[in-house]
Amino acid sequence: MIKVENVTFRYDHSGEPALNRINMTIDKGEYIGIVGPNGCGKTTLVQHFNALLYPEDGRVSVDGMNTDDESCVEEIRRRVGMVFQNPDNQIVGMTVEEDIAFGPGNLELPSPEIRQRVDESLARVGLKNHAERQPYTLSGGEKRLVSIAGVLAMKPEYIIFDEPTSYLDPSGRDRILSLIEEINKQGIAIIHITHNMDEIVNAGRVVVMDEGRVVLTGSPKEVFGKVEQMKALKLDIPVVTDLAWRLKQRGEDIRTDILTIDEACLEILDRLKSPHAS
Amino acid sequence: MYNWGQYVPGNSIIHRLDPRIKILSVIVLSVFILKVGVNAGLLLSVFMMAVIFMSRLTFQRVITSLRPFIIFFILLFLLHVLFTAGTPIVRFSFCGLSITHEGLYRGLYITWQFMFLVTGASILTMTTVPSDLISGIEGILKPLRPLGVPTHDIAIMLSLALRFVPTFLGEIDRIKKAQMARGANFKKGKMIKKIKNITSLALPIVLSSFRRAEETATAMEGRGYKRGPRTCLRNLRMSSADYIALVLMVAMMTGIQLMAL
Repeated sequence: MIKVENVTFRYDHSGEPALNRINMTIDKGEYIGIVGPNGCGKTTLVQHFNALLYPEDGRVSVDGMNTDDESCVEEIRRRVGMVFQNPDNQIVGMTVEEDIAFGPGNLELPSPEIRQRVDESLARVGLKNHAERQPYTLSGGEKRLVSIAGVLAMKPEYIIFDEPTSYLDPSGRDRILSLIEEINKQGIAIIHITHNMDEIVNAGRVVVMDEGRVVLTGSPKEVFGKVEQMKALKLDIPVVTDLAWRLKQRGEDIRTDILTIDEACLEILDRLKSPHAS
Repeated sequence: MYNWGQYVPGNSIIHRLDPRIKILSVIVLSVFILKVGVNAGLLLSVFMMAVIFMSRLTFQRVITSLRPFIIFFILLFLLHVLFTAGTPIVRFSFCGLSITHEGLYRGLYITWQFMFLVTGASILTMTTVPSDLISGIEGILKPLRPLGVPTHDIAIMLSLALRFVPTFLGEIDRIKKAQMARGANFKKGKMIKKIKNITSLALPIVLSSFRRAEETATAMEGRGYKRGPRTCLRNLRMSSADYIALVLMVAMMTGIQLMAL
C-alpha cells in the first residue's frame, strides 16, 4: 500500500505549494486514474511515490517503508516503477535489450537472471524480435513499450504511467492502453495520469487534482457524474457523458453516469423504446 | 553524416573476438607501427590485410572509412615531401622549395603509418557492437578500480553519450527546420550571416540538452541507478579464440622486437 499522509511540497520555498496537504492511499492491485489541469501537481505527487521527491511536510510510505528512509529508497524504487512522459529521455541503453537490462543491473542481479528478465519483459510487451534494435530507430509507440518493459523487468508492485499515450497515434494508443489493463490484471497496481478521460473509465478510482489539492475522488461514475464540477475545473469528461448531460439539460430524462459508448447505446435505445418517449 | 567506422553486422572470427583483446591489439599495433622500420611495417600491414580478410569486411568499406581523413593524409604527405632536406629530384625555382628523395620516402612512409592507424581503429569499430566496445573499455580499466577510478560510471557515461548522438542530430535538424520555417537561411548569404545563423542554433540546442539531461537523470534514478557497482546483461568471457589471438599478438610483437626489424 502506498500511503500519502498530509503531504505538502514546494519547489520554491517561499512560493505557492505544488502539493497542499494531500492524503491518499493506493492499495495493491488497484487501478487509479489521476486527472487535473496542467500544473495541478499530478506529476509532483507521483514523484513522491518512488522517492524522486520528498515531502516538505507529512510523509509518504510504500508498503510500510518511509520514503525519507535512505536505506529503503532502493527497494521503494524497485517496487514503484515509473513510465515517464517522454520515453526518449527514459531510454538509456544503446540497444533495446540493454535498456531493459539497466534497471535489473542497478539491482546487481547476476547476468543470467538479467537475461531472463529482459526476455520475459520483451515478450510481455510484444517486442521479442526487436531486442537488438537501437532506440532511435524505434517508433514513438515502440519507445513507449520499451520504457514499459524496462519497468516490468524490475518486477514492481506498482507502476506509475505519466500521460502514457501522449504523442501516440490511435493504434499505438490502443496498444498501450490494453497493455496497461493487462498488467493490472496480473496484480500490479496502476497509477495512470492522463488528460483523456476516456482512458480511465475502467479505472477502479479516479482522483481529480487542482492547485495541489485533491478536489474530487471516487469511482469513474461518481466523478464523471459531477459534470458541473468537472466543467468548473475546465476538465473534460468522456464524450458520451457530456452527451447524456446535454440531453438531460434539454429536459430529457436520461442517466448522466454513462461512461462508454456501449452504455450510451443501451440507454438511448431504452429511451427510444420506452412508451413515454416523446 | 554518422558513418565513419560504423558497426557492420557480421559473425566473423574478428566480430566474435573479445572486445578487450581487440582494443588492446589496436593500441599495441598503433604503437608498433609508429616505432618500427619499414620491414616490420610491411609485416604489420600484411597482418592487417589478413585481419580485414578474416573480418569479411569488403576492402571497399575499409577504404571508405579512410575517406574523411584524405585531406589530412594529403597535407601530411605534402609537408614531408616539400620540407625534408636531401637530394633534390625536382626544384621549384619560384618558391625555393624542392622535392627530395628523402622527402618522398618519408612522406610516403608516414602517410602509410597514419593510414594504418585509421584502418586499425575503424576495423575495431566496424566489427564491434558499440556496447561491447564500452564493456571492453570498462574491462580494460577494471584493474584501476582499486585506485578509485569509477569504471562503472565511465562506462555509463560513454554509453549515454553514444546513445544520445542520433537523438541530438535529430534535434538539431528539428530546430534548424523550425528556424527555416521562420525565414532563416542556412545555405545562402554572406559568411558572417551564416555564422550568425548557426550560433542561433546553438542556444536552443544547449538549452534543450540540459532539459533532456535533467529528465534522463531523474528517469535513471527512478530506475534505481546509483553510483557504484552494478551488473550487466552480458559478461565478457575469453574463449579459446581469444587466447589464440592473444598469444599470436604477443608472439608477433616479441618477434618484431627481438629481430629489431
